[in-house]
Amino acid sequence: MSSLGGELLVHERRAIAAELVYRGAAHLDERNWDAWLALATDDFHYRIGTYSPEIKKQMVWLEHDRAGLEALFALLHKHHSDHALWLRQLTLQQVEQPTRDELHAISQLVIYATEFDVGDAHVESGSTRIFAVGRYHDRLRRENGCWLVAERYVQLDTRQVGIGTHNIL
Amino acid sequence: MTVWSWKRRLGGPELSFVDSSIYTDPEIFERELEKIWRKTWLLAVHESELPNRYDYRTLTIAREPVVIIRGEDDQIRAFLNVCPHRGAQLLRAPAGNLADASPSGSAKHITCMFHAWQFDAQGQCKAIPRRRAGYQDRLECADASLHEISCEIGLGGFVWVHLEGNAPPLKDYIGQAFDDLRPHLEAEPLEVFHHHKAVVSTNYKLWHDTNSEFYHDYMHHFNRVTGMQQPGYFDRRYTPFPNGHVTVSSMSVKYDAYEHSETSLAHSRDLSFPGLEQNGWKVLDLFPGITLNLRGSALRIDTMTPLAADRVLIEFRGLGLKCDTPEERRLRVRDHNTIWGPFGRNLPEDLLGVTSQGRGMQHGSQPLHVLHGRREHSAIHDEVGLRCYYAEWSRRTERSARDPYSSDCVDWTLAHERRAVGEAE
Repeated sequence: MSSLGGELLVHERRAIAAELVYRGAAHLDERNWDAWLALATDDFHYRIGTYSPEIKKQMVWLEHDRAGLEALFALLHKHHSDHALWLRQLTLQQVEQPTRDELHAISQLVIYATEFDVGDAHVESGSTRIFAVGRYHDRLRRENGCWLVAERYVQLDTRQVGIGTHNIL
Repeated sequence: MTVWSWKRRLGGPELSFVDSSIYTDPEIFERELEKIWRKTWLLAVHESELPNRYDYRTLTIAREPVVIIRGEDDQIRAFLNVCPHRGAQLLRAPAGNLADASPSGSAKHITCMFHAWQFDAQGQCKAIPRRRAGYQDRLECADASLHEISCEIGLGGFVWVHLEGNAPPLKDYIGQAFDDLRPHLEAEPLEVFHHHKAVVSTNYKLWHDTNSEFYHDYMHHFNRVTGMQQPGYFDRRYTPFPNGHVTVSSMSVKYDAYEHSETSLAHSRDLSFPGLEQNGWKVLDLFPGITLNLRGSALRIDTMTPLAADRVLIEFRGLGLKCDTPEERRLRVRDHNTIWGPFGRNLPEDLLGVTSQGRGMQHGSQPLHVLHGRREHSAIHDEVGLRCYYAEWSRRTERSARDPYSSDCVDWTLAHERRAVGEAE
């Protein structure tokens, strides 16, 4: 069935999801928050979580609506952080279409961090480590003919993120 | 700057300081493991992490593998997590339940995977394969129990352990230091909702130092606007207690002073703990490396496992009330994470600070005189918490923190602090 009938062909779904997810990752790598938020719906919801085998509980480590993210980005410059360069490597795993105007996409995520000013910068600056691995669970929605990200859940496998970060993943 | 002026201590003779070698010297670190970490009560886990019979948690204390198990009698016990046969570690997972049989052993038993010796949840040896054939009458199961260590449950339902088998009571060690938090943490059972770990390149004491002084609020934009610039901040007081513990009195934090107050970063925090004023904030720092931080709707617990002079594992827990509704729990989690989660406003900054100290003070680098000398009538920027800690540290290690290589372990600048908590010099 073609996209004209409502249900998208597999390659069409994948193309839509890949465009949104990969372009979004590039904006995040560039710390271009406005461009990234332009790919999201007004009711966008963002969550980072992981499962703790220690306490046997699913945990939420960060949760924001769109306004919360805008505030977080606006205040970043007032907070201290390391200045590692991040590269998000994504592999789109699967895309499903539960309704005519909705897609669910799952992508594998690896975040590489290239050090700048943490530890002995003389020695370590420029070296690269893996910050975290996990998956994006994205819910995409078609609004006025345009596909946007309505919800992102970042499910981390990694449970140790060093000193932590003020970035989103 | 000349070498002479670099080595010269800041200020006059009464200005308290410690020698940076206490943060860097591997020999001093070994002494600390022996004199402190093997000989004090340590907060290991919370009882809500072991809700069912046969639940267990594993950890390491002063290089000793430890397992904490809730037995079939519902009692929680702690053992060295080592097989008495040939020294293999018994349980390898960070947590689990013994209900399921292991590949080489029975359900409800700890089975050493190496030679299949089996132990029950009370540490009793229950099976030695081909015992009589190999040992004849020279070894009975009764001879091979697990090594039990001291374990108590208390002070908000935490599981405390002490590597020595017959440790003095926990209440004697804590004394009255918990009294200020007790009404809030013992009115209702607590429950852990958050746990994460960070291995940090710094000395463990530097993390406890950070938790024991608020002068570093200058680092935190969040704390400056919601705390330091608000009424009551400079009224907060430190109270020292025997054994190196210290408490910090409360203030009402003004969360909506954080900019963009319309967002979830600064939503009204109506939820609290029993008896705690709305947005109240109390702290208890326990020697040698435990902090209970009750702030608004969430309790944060920091515990440490020193790994080397320049490396420490820090575990962070967040707790609410066991009786929380789902909505209450969601709010506590949000409030906790906003400040203290790995993506929170403050925690990465604090860890960045101590990492920077770990870089600035390294073994073999020029020793520094690290100041602990702020005296402001025990108000919030006073460093009495640090001085109390190092008075206890000196007593236990039999070394002066300001001159750790001297035979004279008495640090006279700390005498005031020790008198204040009623300790003998």
